[in-house]
Amino acid sequence: MEILYLLIPLSVVLVLLIIGVFWWALQSGQFDNIEREGERILRQD
Amino acid sequence: MVADDFAVLDDPLEQQAFTQASEADDGFVNESVLMVQGMYCAACADTVESALARCPGVLEAQVHAATRRLTLRWDPARTRLSELAQAVGRTGYRLLPMQQALGVSERVKETRQALWRLFVAGFCMMQVMMYTWPEYVTAPGEIPADIVQLLRWASWVLSLPVMLFASGPFFASAWRDLRQGRIGMDTPVSIGILVTFVASSLATFDPTGPWGQDIWFDSLTMFVFFLLGGRYLELKLRDRTAGALDALMNRLPEQCERERPDGTVERVSLKRLQVGDVVRVEAGQAFPGDGTVLSDAATVDEALLTGESHPITRRRGGAVVAGSYNLGGTVRVRIDRLGRDTRFAQIVSLMEQASTEKPRLARLADRIAAPFLVLVLLAAALSALLWWSVDPHRAVATAVAVLIVTCPCALSLATPAAMLASAGALARRGILTRRLQAFEALAAVDTVVFDKTGTLTQDRVVVREVRVRDGWTVERALRAAAPLARASLHPVSRALVARFEDTAAGDGPAPLLEVAETPGRGLTARDTEGHEWRLGSAAHCGLDEAALVQVGRSVADMPCAYLADAHGWVATFVLDEGVRPDARAAIERLRALGLRVHLLSGDRLGAALRVARPLGIDTVVAEASPERKLEQVARWQAGGHRVAMVGDGLNDGPVLARADVSFALGHGAPLTQTRADFVVQSGRLSDVVFVVEQARATMRIVRQNLAWAAGYNAISVPLALVGWMPPWAAGLGMAASSLLVIGNAMRLSRMVAKALSNGLPAVAAPTPTPV
Repeated sequence: MEILYLLIPLSVVLVLLIIGVFWWALQSGQFDNIEREGERILRQD
Repeated sequence: MVADDFAVLDDPLEQQAFTQASEADDGFVNESVLMVQGMYCAACADTVESALARCPGVLEAQVHAATRRLTLRWDPARTRLSELAQAVGRTGYRLLPMQQALGVSERVKETRQALWRLFVAGFCMMQVMMYTWPEYVTAPGEIPADIVQLLRWASWVLSLPVMLFASGPFFASAWRDLRQGRIGMDTPVSIGILVTFVASSLATFDPTGPWGQDIWFDSLTMFVFFLLGGRYLELKLRDRTAGALDALMNRLPEQCERERPDGTVERVSLKRLQVGDVVRVEAGQAFPGDGTVLSDAATVDEALLTGESHPITRRRGGAVVAGSYNLGGTVRVRIDRLGRDTRFAQIVSLMEQASTEKPRLARLADRIAAPFLVLVLLAAALSALLWWSVDPHRAVATAVAVLIVTCPCALSLATPAAMLASAGALARRGILTRRLQAFEALAAVDTVVFDKTGTLTQDRVVVREVRVRDGWTVERALRAAAPLARASLHPVSRALVARFEDTAAGDGPAPLLEVAETPGRGLTARDTEGHEWRLGSAAHCGLDEAALVQVGRSVADMPCAYLADAHGWVATFVLDEGVRPDARAAIERLRALGLRVHLLSGDRLGAALRVARPLGIDTVVAEASPERKLEQVARWQAGGHRVAMVGDGLNDGPVLARADVSFALGHGAPLTQTRADFVVQSGRLSDVVFVVEQARATMRIVRQNLAWAAGYNAISVPLALVGWMPPWAAGLGMAASSLLVIGNAMRLSRMVAKALSNGLPAVAAPTPTPV
């Protein structure tokens, strides 16, 4: 069971990491307009 | 390759919108924010950046690939923006000023922030649940104590971001209320969150202390997550209503082609344009302002007014509105109104006004909520005190449950959420709501009163009947009148031409010379043999109207136009206002909804009856002056009826204001002046029926929401007080009730989509053939 002493803190770090990745995705505008990428194929310019 | 000259970027007036000047060591440095058009990936960003880096005078160029935003620092002494733009243009991209993006960026930031808080709370919640799960499913002592402690610490660590960051809006709003000496919606929520966290933290770090060893980190994070979810949906709902027309707003062109007095064309920015300018609008472009068509005809798409895009023809002298698209060839337009004065800007500001209004029921809910919240705080304190003497371990849990479960968020959301959803849905259909309150009034209406001219009837006339001299046929009379009528744009002339084109097969009209128009009276012309022809009023044709009526050559109580040659009377064209094609169906539907339909007209009784009879209207009040109309509406109201008035918004302002609910049909009246609660821009009567149905649906949803919110509180508060509700259930119940209320309201926007696809007449029926 000693491995839990490593795994549980690791899971905490992992969650913080995922939150960080989402922050990057959000700030780079990926969620501003979810339909945009799908509509892009219809555009000319 | 983009080969514009970009002169518009050098315009100082234009520049101040997207450029900031700052002083540097040697001279000035300008920082401009521009949009790069035609860019999709990081590689494109590199191309643009390196193209700019090669230009002299560029200090720094940074392109953000995802937002297509270029931040450019440049030296105004060494280069001009247009030169830089040309350099970028050579690589195939176009630089545009970022002015509209600046306006939108506020909202984008707000949405991002809300989503970010929601996500932090969501992820922490999931993980905290994971850590708490073993304690729920095992018997005490089954897990080693040190591991239990480790799990608690991990929960505490992941609750920190939720407390410190995600719950920020609740604390901020509670603090704001507190400083103003009020108790707001977020006060009990904030106290609940704080107490839960403090008690759980103490239990985590001092399990033997007086706080017991119960932790509620899972309840806490879940509660915050659901609450934020509700707020996020609410934000989206508000955004959709106010922003329903925002997408259209961005279609105004940045610059346009203005004609100089000598006929040459120059490109100028929209800001430089002035009222009275003549601009050329190419196919596919949007009109920069409200204007008058100077070309022969223009085909335009006015989806922003009617909510549906099909081509409409505007002839010379017709009006076009800013933001609508030119579908045909290049059109010359004289600008009549710009910027804030355009119909389009009015629509947007109207919608913004309406969406910030608080309807009566919402104000009532808020009034009830304030003392209710004080009671909640007292009840929570009381229950904590009582439980403290019985079982101190459960005191905190009970108080927290009471605080959280009773939050009347759902109650205060119930009304505005539903009405906002409806207003947004109607806006997408081209129907503007001026007051949210009108939904409640309209749902209670039992009488609909129509104005006649321009409401039940179209604002143009049709030829109803033709009487001719012995030996003549109707076709021959029309053929004789057509060339005269063609020379004029008067509504009667247009009606004659339309009738001629409908009936005459093959034969063209007889050629005429020297056609002259006497405004307001009629037309005169000479045929090839030198005989004179006249078309117009009886006086213009030298005829005695009363005598003609006596011998059956004319009709007394209807408008008529006459045709005369050198020998006198040839033909009488009896005119009639065309009844709107959808009037019959709309009135039938209103009656089926249990409403009484009346006609209130200033016209003669005969004319009013002729319109009203085939439509199945209950009562006709004719020859009514504006005062008489007001009096009549007041009489109906005194009789206990709730009256909705439908007019064109032009001539019936006072009556519209007097009625309980009012509709303005079409877009004749300036929006800022119209007193109507709903503006049906398409002018379709079926849309009036639609709004009535939508209002009833809205109030049904509001009632459901209020009933649910009240019922929920009535049941959950006693449960929490006696300690039968653990904090997690309280959080779930409260958040779920808010989500339910918002979700229920959102159904209203889907109803519109369904109604549209179910074939409510979304496209205007064809023009009726003259009777």
